[in-house]
Amino acid sequence: MKADLADGQTLKEMFASGTAWLEKSAPDINAINVFPVPDGDTGTNMVLTMQFALEEAKLNSDDHVSSVAKSLAHGALMGARGNSGVILSQFFRGLAKGLEGKTHFDGGDFARALAGASQTAYKGIVNPVEGTILTVLKDASKAAQEAVKNDDTLVSVLEDAVKSARDSVARTPSLLPVLKEAGVVDAGGQGLYVLLDGALQFLKGESHKIQYRRPRLVVAEAELVPRAAQRPAQLEMPHGYCTNFVLEGKNLNLSKIEKDLKKKGQSLIVTGDDTLVRVHIHSFEPGEILGYATRLGKLHEITINNMDDQYAEFIKMQRERMPQVDIAMVTVATGDGFFELLNSLGNIIIVPGGQTMNPSVRELLQAVESAPSDNIILLPNNKNIVSAASQVQSLTSKKVKVVPTRNIPQGIAAFLAFGYDLNLEKNAQAMEKAINKVRAIEVTRAVRGTRLGGLEIRKGQFIAMLNDEDLIARADKAGDVVLEALGKAGAEKAGIVTVYYGAEIKGAEAQEIAQEIRDRYHTEVEVIYGGQPHYNYIVSLE
Amino acid sequence: MVKVVTDSCSDITPQLAQELGITVVPLYVQFGNETYRDNVDLSTEEFYHKLGTSKIQPATSTATPADFAKVFTELMEETKEILTITVSEKFSATYAAALQGKAVVKKDCRIEVIDSKLGAGAQMLLVILAAQMARAGASLDHIIDLVKRAIPRIHIRMTFDTLEYLRRGGRIGKAQAFLGGLLKVNHVLGIKDGAAFPIARSRNRAQGMDFLVNFVKGFSQIETVAIEDATTPDDLQSLAERLKDVVPPERTYLSKVSPVVGTHVGPHVLAVAVLEAE
Repeated sequence: MKADLADGQTLKEMFASGTAWLEKSAPDINAINVFPVPDGDTGTNMVLTMQFALEEAKLNSDDHVSSVAKSLAHGALMGARGNSGVILSQFFRGLAKGLEGKTHFDGGDFARALAGASQTAYKGIVNPVEGTILTVLKDASKAAQEAVKNDDTLVSVLEDAVKSARDSVARTPSLLPVLKEAGVVDAGGQGLYVLLDGALQFLKGESHKIQYRRPRLVVAEAELVPRAAQRPAQLEMPHGYCTNFVLEGKNLNLSKIEKDLKKKGQSLIVTGDDTLVRVHIHSFEPGEILGYATRLGKLHEITINNMDDQYAEFIKMQRERMPQVDIAMVTVATGDGFFELLNSLGNIIIVPGGQTMNPSVRELLQAVESAPSDNIILLPNNKNIVSAASQVQSLTSKKVKVVPTRNIPQGIAAFLAFGYDLNLEKNAQAMEKAINKVRAIEVTRAVRGTRLGGLEIRKGQFIAMLNDEDLIARADKAGDVVLEALGKAGAEKAGIVTVYYGAEIKGAEAQEIAQEIRDRYHTEVEVIYGGQPHYNYIVSLE
Repeated sequence: MVKVVTDSCSDITPQLAQELGITVVPLYVQFGNETYRDNVDLSTEEFYHKLGTSKIQPATSTATPADFAKVFTELMEETKEILTITVSEKFSATYAAALQGKAVVKKDCRIEVIDSKLGAGAQMLLVILAAQMARAGASLDHIIDLVKRAIPRIHIRMTFDTLEYLRRGGRIGKAQAFLGGLLKVNHVLGIKDGAAFPIARSRNRAQGMDFLVNFVKGFSQIETVAIEDATTPDDLQSLAERLKDVVPPERTYLSKVSPVVGTHVGPHVLAVAVLEAE
């Protein structure tokens, strides 16, 4: 046996080290995420997917590399989040296939497995685009195969693969114009490079260095449009206790309360006036929050929920509430307003999640399994969740139809189109037809300065995307962006415009904008509280 | 010749009733102490005007056994065979009233009472079929057989801006699944097993009308169609225009919901009913 032959435990350690390295890079990767959707969650999604993969591998004490690779692949599949996560899971599937039946592996085996992983990843994507993680994987696998000809030790093969991956990342802006315009390299490609680089550090016995350093973003090869300073995207990972209350007092200072509470938790929302303030915060110490608030006034409507329990309870409660039906619906949504709205429209299981917090394949699968029917319609409501939703179909014995809704207005239109007298196939058809009749405008703040769709955007400006694809407006005020975007989307021809306002917007402000829409475009306008994070407004035209 | 009797929930216009020799027994609408015979003392237009201006919510009551007995007695002067087709007994006690009316009249005439399990335009199409067969000289047994076979082939779809009237009158049935929605939607209901049944929803009235048109176009062969409105004659005309190439005008019946039906469905409703070919 050759001295450097590695076993399954080595493979596990390699990717554990790679994941640790990737975790440190996640905020940077999030910040450069512009393709396919500039939603700042690629790094997070890749880390979460890797964590699932490692957890599954940890449970496997087998030394055979074939068995460990299989566990990694299965875990990655169950945990796949977002587009990059799904591609990563395809990568591990290909790797496992390449290492099948092997107890140990050397550089040659790894190079062949990488080639298989690259092929699998390409096949898994309907429209593969160059200049992305796919290209980086392809280039790395080619370099690995070349390397085998000179030196087939694992370290040497991976070293060449990593070097080639880095060069490939640097070339991504020349291949994908949207990257060049935004002045960044591809986020998913950067993530894969960091993952492989971390694995290499383990093989070289340098993983202890990960503690003190952090990965650098690859510098683009070509001249780029100069970019503004970047800000790490905020992670919207729910953890700890979701704490809500209304504070009644005199001369309450909203901005001071906000400032004080900011230090005590995440996802903070403070709304109201100087006599009545509503607070929402995620914190590990809800007692401390309430202690602070009682010093300022009287507390009402206090709710404290353990968010981990909450999710399990949520699914359980929904199951108990629903009698067995012919066809059950499962959807993904975020925001208390949207939860309430969807529940008011009928029986539907809601998996919490959406933009910047894509649910995993496992969460979607759990919801499908808990649904009170063997026939399921799944509405992902986000472009980045569609592929994860499709994975669920092969993991359950239930019949699952995915109606590829790409935003919440499409999801609501599909839900409403549900025909009580139609079978699963006919319903899916009716819903697909319905989603083509709705257009969605999503308004958010730019996380950094960039150029998109020919528009110069400053960090913090409001931007409006039409159908998650085209940036159609930008302005300093949210309301101006809504009005301009509606004009470009043809609001005067719409039968009804629905304005869903987010957690950070006050109802009165949304009503004012609605009135302006009516005055300017002479169309029917309905205003609904969505309570969504991330998007200040989601507007639908039907 | 067999004489055909129905109740006013069939929304058959007086002209059509006269033309086909159909006797329509009216139900009653009450605004407080004022009682009106459906489509006799009160037209659909007058009803909706009152609905919009009166502070009192209207209520409805069934035709009485005596009303049916009186009609049967009159018809017995000219026929020995009477077929009565009533609105679904899940919507009204009119079926029971007709049976009691039959029990109190003299027995030298054969009177049959059938629960259509339908209402409005759908019931209309069934009654028209029976009346046409009667005029063609078919026997009572033959007509009964045809009518019973036709019931499952009649389908109705009605769009609602609001289900409030249906809920208030307690006729909402399984369509209560549509209640409580926080979004303004157009509801499409049908009738299944004699009761209201939820079919689909859309965000606006135009999509609801599209649904009705596509519903009719979905049948491969159609014998007759009924199209109805409540307060929107322009929409009725537009539906008729869009369907004129699907079913020829001579087999298309236009009508308005009667005040009694209107009490339970409210303003703005539109309906299409189809009798599928066998």
